[in-house]
Amino acid sequence: MAEALLDVAGLSVSYATRRGLVHALQDVSLAIPRGGAMGLVGESGSGKSSMVLALLGLLDKGARLEADRLDFAGEDLRQACARLRGSRIGTVFQDPAAALNPALRIGFQVAEPLVQHRRLPQPIALARAVELLAEMGIPRPAEVAQAYPHQLSGGMKQRAVIATALACEPELLLLDEPTTALDVTVEAQILDLLERLRRDRQVALLLVSHNLGIVDRLCDRLTVLYAGRVVEQGDAATMLRAPRHPYTRGLLAALPRADRGQLQRLAPIPGGLPDLTRPESGCNFAARCPFRAEGCDAPQALRDVAGRAVRCHRAEELGDTPWPRPGHTAAQRAPLGAMLLEAEGLARRFRLGGGFLQMFRSRAEVRAVDGVSLSLRRGEVLGLVGESGCGKTTLGRLLLRLIEADAGTIRFDGQPVSPRPDAAFRRRAQIVFQNPDSSLNPRQTVEQALLRPLVRFGLASGAAADREVDRLLERVRLSPAYRPRYPHQMSGGEKQRIGIARALASRPDFLVCDEAVSALDVSVQAAVLNLLADLRDELGVAFLFISHDIGVVAHIADRIAVMYRGVIVEEGPTQAVLAPPYHPYTQALLSAVPLVGQSGRATTRLRLVGDVSATGPASGCPFAHRCPVKIGAPCERQAPAMREVAVGHRIACHLPIEEMARAPHALMATE
Amino acid sequence: MSATVATPAHRLPRTLVTGLLVVGAIALLAALGPWIAPYDPDAFDMRARLQPPSAAHWFGTDEFGRDVLSRVLSGAHHSILMGVGATAISLAIGVPLGLIAAFRRGWTEEVVMRCIDLMISLPPVLLGLLILAVTEPGLWKTILAVGLVYVPIMTRISRAVALDLLSEDFVEAARARGEGAYHILVREILPNAWPPLIVETALRITFAILLGSALSFLGLGPQPPASEWGLMIAESRPFIAEAPWIGLAPGLSLCLLLIAVNTVGEGLRDLLDPRLRGRGHG
Repeated sequence: MAEALLDVAGLSVSYATRRGLVHALQDVSLAIPRGGAMGLVGESGSGKSSMVLALLGLLDKGARLEADRLDFAGEDLRQACARLRGSRIGTVFQDPAAALNPALRIGFQVAEPLVQHRRLPQPIALARAVELLAEMGIPRPAEVAQAYPHQLSGGMKQRAVIATALACEPELLLLDEPTTALDVTVEAQILDLLERLRRDRQVALLLVSHNLGIVDRLCDRLTVLYAGRVVEQGDAATMLRAPRHPYTRGLLAALPRADRGQLQRLAPIPGGLPDLTRPESGCNFAARCPFRAEGCDAPQALRDVAGRAVRCHRAEELGDTPWPRPGHTAAQRAPLGAMLLEAEGLARRFRLGGGFLQMFRSRAEVRAVDGVSLSLRRGEVLGLVGESGCGKTTLGRLLLRLIEADAGTIRFDGQPVSPRPDAAFRRRAQIVFQNPDSSLNPRQTVEQALLRPLVRFGLASGAAADREVDRLLERVRLSPAYRPRYPHQMSGGEKQRIGIARALASRPDFLVCDEAVSALDVSVQAAVLNLLADLRDELGVAFLFISHDIGVVAHIADRIAVMYRGVIVEEGPTQAVLAPPYHPYTQALLSAVPLVGQSGRATTRLRLVGDVSATGPASGCPFAHRCPVKIGAPCERQAPAMREVAVGHRIACHLPIEEMARAPHALMATE
Repeated sequence: MSATVATPAHRLPRTLVTGLLVVGAIALLAALGPWIAPYDPDAFDMRARLQPPSAAHWFGTDEFGRDVLSRVLSGAHHSILMGVGATAISLAIGVPLGLIAAFRRGWTEEVVMRCIDLMISLPPVLLGLLILAVTEPGLWKTILAVGLVYVPIMTRISRAVALDLLSEDFVEAARARGEGAYHILVREILPNAWPPLIVETALRITFAILLGSALSFLGLGPQPPASEWGLMIAESRPFIAEAPWIGLAPGLSLCLLLIAVNTVGEGLRDLLDPRLRGRGHG
């Protein structure tokens, strides 16, 4: 290996807290050569962010840092970090909205490091900023430089942040979850950009991410962190193909993958992170490890195994043994039941702006949902995908009559549902939310939260209600010991399960899951997805499963509906939607999904420019303004009708069916 | 993932403890006032007019020979009643208004909030004067007037807090159960709205005491010979050069009470406001 640009050895970081000293990083070593790309993965709490902050010298005052070596290009970062960061080390954080100052123009912010570090005069720095913005693929860079952050979309903001990080031509870019806040199509654009920067400029990358697909796409080396320790480190492609440490095996097994389609069940990693105030002397993963054996409590060293470093004494012995998948002995899924929910022509507009003074002015309107019809049978899971802002959440709320519809009808179990539905409909149609922190009342115990629906719908009282609460907790695999807990005493995954238990309390037939697993770590996500699949199979609950993560939807859904700007553009059985013929939007969405071990896909990618919020034509196909295969006049003048391309598989597009069928498979590498 | 267990406040902020001790002491003196006062607060003694502080009269005597210490002690309950009573009134009216405005949105909110704006646009003393001018003055009238003056601020705060909370998913979950306005506001919103409201209440008491005393000073509070502190200060004005102690004693008492109540408020804010938590309490 060439001489390392970044060379870290024996780095330990600890924080003094009320509970004691938290050992966030323990003896971490990694090296990145010039132009290299290192991925750093691990679940929340693994110490990824501490690593970035330590390299930048931005740790809190209460933090203690020890290292044998912390060098950047031969200089000790502990002394030089203030001078190096911003000039030779660039940083991109997760949330572009938080990284930009809302009161300053974009151009000024991009130019700032040039003025600060290079002492360039303001006008020259500003001119350079416009060039940088252009290099990031921003259209009309001179105009964007004059804009304020709120005038740009998320993807544009992140490009501006990257431009700022690159202003002084750094040799190393630290990327802390750079695309997590972005849509998958925009994420793909940013990843392309980063890939190009690395190739053209020889910028080294340290990519911190929880998404293994992104890491596989961008990095050649990979470090897996678990609870502050490096558990496996080596060549990225090899490690993802044949993981050697049990934790890496577990991470890969828990990942729902669009290219694998529907699996019986995912393999969750049981348990949670160990207590970081008392680091184990032995393996810190042993408590959650299915391969635990004698000798795991002895100190584990990073050893060279099959060309990489692994911190597990059984690495060779285990060979290619996969992470055990949960045996699924329960009866196979019953055939789908009778029609449960039918929605016809649902529509909802929102007015922009508001307030007393605007009351008399005409206001712009957004058609959040524009004439959507869909149906759902008992025990069926309908996945709803699309970029943010395309109306998925609004549609879910419309179906539950939580917001008023402007037009359309809903029939539930054969009966029309009035705009102000009765308690019977409320009992049978429930919702699970994305954010576990917001979905539970912080002042209510688990018991209070679960009792309320029972009381409200008169389902049980007294001792019977008590037993019912225990049964609900058991349903979501939690012990009755959780009854007196408040939300802040639980982890994200536990809170999410309570949210599901609360929705199940009224014994619903229909559940809207609005990004129900998106905020969870991959191991916890797998457990919650398995739970939902059990509910579908055992209780016959029907789901509308809203998610931006196509891997998750492909795993759990029977049918998928693809939504764009308030309209469903494609709908059909999961396997049919994931394979050609595609609606061009579906094809673009699918080919944007970063997949593990499918790097050969790069050549067949269909890229979208811009984002949903860009204004399109008032009439015509809603996707025409971004469509890469637009055929011209018909697309702009006339909205395409839904056409059945196969049984139950419908696409709304003017393209000839044969042409759509010729599209390459977006999820597979083409030879 | 280890759940972060909320550490109960095993260490109360020092400001809170100090403030509570002083307020407690003043409240105790106010309650015991009639029994521990060395003289009858209203008894004239023309032979002992305008006497400076001495062993017999610790705070001196006023122009009628009344013992200032006894009057300060017997007047303390007025100030405390004014602070607590007025704030209670502003809470009782303001919080429901704010919650309903936030919940109903639309026209209800517009009407409520524009009325509130109208009240806020008038200076507090002027508004108090307006309310009192149409009725006979007296302690309870003053309390009512001061309470009404502080309704707008309570409405605004509770509306802002409720608007924040109403966008949370647990409220959406309650709507999905078809819960009514009462359940959502009282069971879901209110328990979460208390911390900022309690902090505001504690700080608001200070202003209420001050405004009450100001109105008394202007002659719109309890009437002579009552021993309200603001009124005492007003009565001492002609003698400020020859007998400053008459005004100084109630003035300093008022100061002490205000500072103590304010300290309690700040202590509560340190305790309840998560944004300030962890900064260490001075």
